[in-house]
Amino acid sequence: MPDLTPPDVLDFQNVSKTYPGQPRPALNDLTLRVPRGSRTGVIGRSGAGKSTLVRLISGLETPDAGRLLVRGDALGPATRAAHQARTGLVFQQFNLLAQRTVLRNVTLPLELRGVPRARRDALAREHLDLVGLGEYAGRYPAQLSGGQKQRVGIARALVTAPDLLLADEATSALDPETSAGILNLLLDLQRERDLTLVIVTHQLEVVRAVTTHVAVLDAGQLVETGETAAVLRAPRHAATRALLDAHRPQVPLAPDETLRRVTLPDLNPDTLAALARAGARIVQAEPHPQGLDVWIAAPAASPEWAVLA
Amino acid sequence: MTWDALWPLLWQGTLDTLWMVVPAALCAQLIGTALGVLLTLTRPDGLHPQRPLFRVLDAAVNVGRSLPFIILLVLLIPFTRLITGTSIGSTAAIVPLTVAAIPFVARLVDGALKDVPRGVVDAARAMGASTAQTVFKVLLPEARPALIHAFTVMIVSLIGYSAMAGAIGGGGLGDLAIRYGYQRFETGVMIATVAALLVLVQLTQWAGDRAAARSDHR
Ligand SMILES: Nc1ncnc2c1ncn2[C@@H]1O[C@H](COP(=O)(O)OP(=O)(O)O)[C@@H](O)[C@H]1O
Ligand SMILES: [Mg+2]
Repeated sequence: MPDLTPPDVLDFQNVSKTYPGQPRPALNDLTLRVPRGSRTGVIGRSGAGKSTLVRLISGLETPDAGRLLVRGDALGPATRAAHQARTGLVFQQFNLLAQRTVLRNVTLPLELRGVPRARRDALAREHLDLVGLGEYAGRYPAQLSGGQKQRVGIARALVTAPDLLLADEATSALDPETSAGILNLLLDLQRERDLTLVIVTHQLEVVRAVTTHVAVLDAGQLVETGETAAVLRAPRHAATRALLDAHRPQVPLAPDETLRRVTLPDLNPDTLAALARAGARIVQAEPHPQGLDVWIAAPAASPEWAVLA
Repeated sequence: MTWDALWPLLWQGTLDTLWMVVPAALCAQLIGTALGVLLTLTRPDGLHPQRPLFRVLDAAVNVGRSLPFIILLVLLIPFTRLITGTSIGSTAAIVPLTVAAIPFVARLVDGALKDVPRGVVDAARAMGASTAQTVFKVLLPEARPALIHAFTVMIVSLIGYSAMAGAIGGGGLGDLAIRYGYQRFETGVMIATVAALLVLVQLTQWAGDRAAARSDHR
C-alpha cells in the first residue's frame, strides 16, 4: 500500500484573508508548507497576521482567496470537525473556563465529542499527570499560577491526541523562567508524541530555543523562511533584522567591542575564567531551555569565542 | 388595628406577593435568558450575525424596558384575560409582571454573556463546539454568577412592580398598603407593609448575593 498521507501537515497556497471592514489584508498571498513532525516558528511583530494564520488553521476563519490544505484536505463543513480534533491549540491568555475545575477544563474537548464520562476523566487525569498537575485536578484556574494555567492549557490541547500542536504566543504572558519551563515541556511532548509543532510568537528567543524552521511574517506577508539557525545568523529581510535588533540589550559598547549571544549550560567558574581571559563581560543573562541565554560584550577579535560559541 | 388583626393580613399579602412574583420571575428568567442568548448570537460580532433579526429584538427589548409598568399593565389587559381568563387578582398579575421582566432579563443576560472572554469562546469553537454546545457548555455556565445576579435584581424589581399591580386589584402587599394605609389612613398598616416589603427585598438580595458569590470561581 502506498502511503497516501501528505508529507505536509499544513499547506498554504496563496492564502489571503481580509477581515470585514478592514482596509488591508491580515494575510496577503501566503504560501507556506509545514512538514509533518517539524517544529516551525512563525514570528512577526504585533499585527503581522500570526493569529489570523492560527485562526485559519483551526477553522475559525476561512481564506478569502487561495487554498489552505490541512493534512491534505481543504477545511470545509464535512472535514472541519475531524481536523479540529487532531489540532491542539495553546493560547497566550490560556483561555481556560473560569467556572470549571482544572479536570473539567481538560475533559471539555472530549465532552464536546461525546466521549463517555469515565473515559474522558481517565484521559484528562492522564494528561494532567503528563504536565505535572495531577494534584490540581479539583482546583479552579483562578487558583493557579500563569505557568500552571498554561500547563492545563497544554493538557487540554493534547487530550484528544492531536498530531499538530499550535501555540499562539503561549509564553508571552509568562516570566522568562516559567516560559523556559513551558517551552521545554512543549519540546519534550513534541518529541515523545511525534507532533508537528507550530510556535507562533513575537519573541525571537522562543523561536531560537524551540524551532528547526522559521517563517517571518510582516504586515500580512511572508517575508522570509528557512532553517532557524540560518535565518537568525544571516537575516535577509529588514523585518527579520528589526526583530533581531529589538532583542539586543541596549548597553554602551567600547569602539572595538561587539555584542554576541551565546547559550551556556550554566555559568561555572571555568566559563567565567574563559570569559575574563577573552576580555569579555556579561551584559545580560536569561533562562533558556538549554541553560542560560547570555549576551556578551567582547573585543571583536577575541580568539576565545571559539571556546564559548 | 391590633397585631392580631394585622398579622393575617400581612401574611396573606406576603403570600399573594410571592404568588405573583415567583412564577413571573421563573417564566421571565426562562424566556428572557433565551432572548438574551439570541441577542448575543445574532449581534453583528456574534457567532451567527443576523442583522435584521438582531435589530428587531434589540428594539423590542428597549421598548419593553422603557414602557412604564403601569401602562404595560393596562395595555396587556386583553392578553392577560386571554391567558388567565381574568384581568384582576394576583394570578392575572403574573402575566404583566412576566412580560415586564422579560426584556429586563434579556438585557442583563446579553450583558453577562458579553463578559465571557472572546478567547474562551474561540477556544471552544476551535475544539469543535457547535453553537448549542458553545451556549450550554461555555457561555451560560461561564456567566452563571452574573446570571444569578440578574435573577436577583429582577426579583427585587418584580417585588416593587407587584406592589403596583396590587393597586389595580392584584392583591399582595401593595394592595394592602393602598387599601388600609392610603384609603383608610391606617398609618400602622402602611408601615408594617413597607417593613414586610423591605424584609422580602433584603432577603432576596442577600440570598442572591450569596448564591452568586458561591458559584463564582474566578
Ligand atoms: N477580528 C478581527 N476583525 C478585524 N480585524 C482584525 C481582527 N483580528 C485581527 N485583525 C487585524 O488583522 C491584522 C492581523 O492581526 P493578527 O492576526 O491578530 O496579528 P498578530 O497575531 O500577528 O498580532 C491586524 O491588523 C489586526 O488589527
Ligand atoms: Mg496574535
